[in-house]
Amino acid sequence: MKAVVLDGIVLGLAFGLLGVGMTLVYGLGGVLNLAYGQIVILGAIVVMVVMEDGVATFLAAVLGVLAAAGVAVLLDLTLMRPVYRQHGEERTLLGLLLTLGAAFVIGGLLTWRYPAGALYINVSGEPVSIIGVPMAVGSLWASVIALAVAAVLLLFFGLTTFGRGVRSIIQDETGARLVGINPAFVRTVIFALSGALAGIVAITQSMSGPLTVNAGFELTTFALIVTVVGGLGSVAGAFLAGVLLGVVNSLSAHYIGQYITTIILLGAAALTILIRPRGLLGR
Amino acid sequence: MRTTRTIGRALLPIAVTAAILAILPSVWFGDSPYTTSLAVQALVFAAYGVGFNLIFGSTNQLFLCVGALAGVGGYGAVILIDETSLPMAAGVVVGTAGAALVGGLLSWIAVRRSLGIIFTGIVTLVFSLAFANLLLGQRELTGAETGLVVTAAADRLGDDDVGGYYLFAGLLVAFLIVFRALQLSHVGWAFRALRDDEVAAELAGVDVARYRIYAATIGSAMIGLTGALLAYSAGFISPATYSFDRVDVRVLVLVAFGGLGTLLGPVIGAGVFAILDEQLSTSLELREVLYGVFVIAIFLFFRHGVVSAVVSLYDRLSRRRQKPALQPSGD
Amino acid sequence: MLEVSGLAAGYLGERVIEGIDVEVRTGEAVAIIGSNGAGKTTLFRAIAGLLQPMEGRVVLDEKDLTRRPAHRISRAGIAYVPAERHLFPAMTLKSNLVLGAYPRRPDRETLELVYDLFPRLHERQRQQAGTLSGGEQQMLAVGRALMARPRLLMLDEPTTGLAPKIAQIAFEALEGLKKEGMTLLIAEQQVPLALSVAERGYVLENGRIRLSGTSAELDQNPEVRRAYLGVA
Repeated sequence: MKAVVLDGIVLGLAFGLLGVGMTLVYGLGGVLNLAYGQIVILGAIVVMVVMEDGVATFLAAVLGVLAAAGVAVLLDLTLMRPVYRQHGEERTLLGLLLTLGAAFVIGGLLTWRYPAGALYINVSGEPVSIIGVPMAVGSLWASVIALAVAAVLLLFFGLTTFGRGVRSIIQDETGARLVGINPAFVRTVIFALSGALAGIVAITQSMSGPLTVNAGFELTTFALIVTVVGGLGSVAGAFLAGVLLGVVNSLSAHYIGQYITTIILLGAAALTILIRPRGLLGR
Repeated sequence: MRTTRTIGRALLPIAVTAAILAILPSVWFGDSPYTTSLAVQALVFAAYGVGFNLIFGSTNQLFLCVGALAGVGGYGAVILIDETSLPMAAGVVVGTAGAALVGGLLSWIAVRRSLGIIFTGIVTLVFSLAFANLLLGQRELTGAETGLVVTAAADRLGDDDVGGYYLFAGLLVAFLIVFRALQLSHVGWAFRALRDDEVAAELAGVDVARYRIYAATIGSAMIGLTGALLAYSAGFISPATYSFDRVDVRVLVLVAFGGLGTLLGPVIGAGVFAILDEQLSTSLELREVLYGVFVIAIFLFFRHGVVSAVVSLYDRLSRRRQKPALQPSGD
Repeated sequence: MLEVSGLAAGYLGERVIEGIDVEVRTGEAVAIIGSNGAGKTTLFRAIAGLLQPMEGRVVLDEKDLTRRPAHRISRAGIAYVPAERHLFPAMTLKSNLVLGAYPRRPDRETLELVYDLFPRLHERQRQQAGTLSGGEQQMLAVGRALMARPRLLMLDEPTTGLAPKIAQIAFEALEGLKKEGMTLLIAEQQVPLALSVAERGYVLENGRIRLSGTSAELDQNPEVRRAYLGVA
């Protein structure tokens, strides 16, 4: 039982990290980036290709993160411009549809060029024992990275002027403009950040097991579930929802079954929308 | 006052379409089962499209579960027959009713909880994925990935037979007639009102909730019926037959291409994409890329459908008398 | 300091205001009076950059600010306090003030100044802005605008939703600001209050300037009384 819960927490931290990138963009700009999973895969493929050319793992990881951030910025500067010109539901709908299209373009190109592409970062070492349960080193590293990212993000948004500016846009965009904040610039920065986070997800996911080129849609689905349950734009919410869902996933998969587990997670998202649309920690 | 001429004019586009569909096999297919199956597929998607058009195009409910609804129809029908040895017709009826019920229920929930377009989209997407997982999980009942062989499949209505072609052509024409009838009735008026401005419609006395559920139920019934008949025609179904990537994205693109809310939008869209598919039969992945490009292009530049844009371009080029651009839903 | 010439603005192609000429000199307090729908808010939004003008110019101390986006105009020194206030409801009162100084970090002096002006804000500085009363929110909105040390402070109907006694206090605070040398542009429906603080005023009616003059002149004017009552 301990092992199952610990596995759940490890999985949950990965979920949280996955959801954070999507929830920031959704909370800030009202855009649901359905291409998010594909950006993760793009980061992974870049790392894979670069490593095949003999580049050291760490440098390859950095390149992957930069590539993902770069693609995100490109997306923001091109497709998102017409989206931000809309407001409210129109904006979210157009954003959803355009990013869906982008998901197919990116995903299609990647699977076409690298049909057997997969990234696996083997972290060597004996399993470490946490409260009596042996945990794979790779998974532990992934969790540590996720926690570190969570801490950095919370500090950034809580304490820095820029971070406060981001939160202010989420709460009242007009008010933010009136105090001198440029929402367009902030949105581009956050989009880039979400891309970088996607790159980090690619790294951490591939530490726990091979990340294949067609996992994009699945990643987007889980990111969406975490975003919905955690609440728009809430970093803490994404990680909280992630860990909760991770533990639920782990328990359910162990005691019930694989397919029902996915249905349960999907159900959690639907239930959140129906009962508490703002999510756990959203406004 | 409906004169025969008015009715005639209203049904003209459908009659023309029916005529074209009727002669198509002899003109184009040349006895090739491959071409026939392509045509059948196009008809199936056009039929899905009419249902989707009723739900999204007419009442703004983003139902991202077309495939799942078709699956309810298809799997519902087949499993019922397998378990109870009732005749095929019963299976189809039950499957269709099931889909209608599910669709109506989803709409009812969306209405009761005042879900906007986005949340409706997410909830229906969740249903889509959950349904797919359900199919995979219930092995004994559904055969999971390996699929189900439809033992009661009709012989000459196969999806690469001319018989199958005429079955779905007839189905499509029937759907178009229903769509048209709704469009021209007070129901259609209510749809247009609520799509234009929901609040104004409510104030004008339109029970938005009721009409939404109404549209969703009929549209879902159409989708479910198509899914059930597809099962019998194809003789074999699997979760892939009704998956989100295979069905929903394609339906969304082709209906948007032809024009959301228009009568023949789904038909034109399905036709164009069938031809496109044929030309690009090489790479599945590149086709995916192209779909993505289309989605982006359509929703950025051709909000009212490519067809409508082409028509207004033609109007402007030939510099005719000031004529309003092609109105969606044939006002 | 502020020169608005020939300004026209509106929504969806329709002009709400047209041919507006307004001038505010340094250290002055100017009032824009008019009834509901006259176009006061549209005028202010156009000056503040929340709305793109269709015609005309907005110049602040020789710098042409026409058509600049709102955040640039804010950084150029025009602080706008809209009628809806647009505070950050889930942030503390203090955080709201701190953000007022964006992108700079707030300096102690200005913060002290704001707290001196509105002691109530100091008391409730850790409270969430969304839970404040109407009067406190208005004080916070003005305080936040002051944090940027603006050249010009624009207030749109500062007394909306305030009890008469609170409205009185609010205008006394504005008097205090004026004494400190702040330049004010105030839009108000409550003519006596507005004219008590302002030296000059403009009467806006149906989107056009109908009258202008010193407060004394406007106060005596029978047409002003008509505009005040909003009777056609």
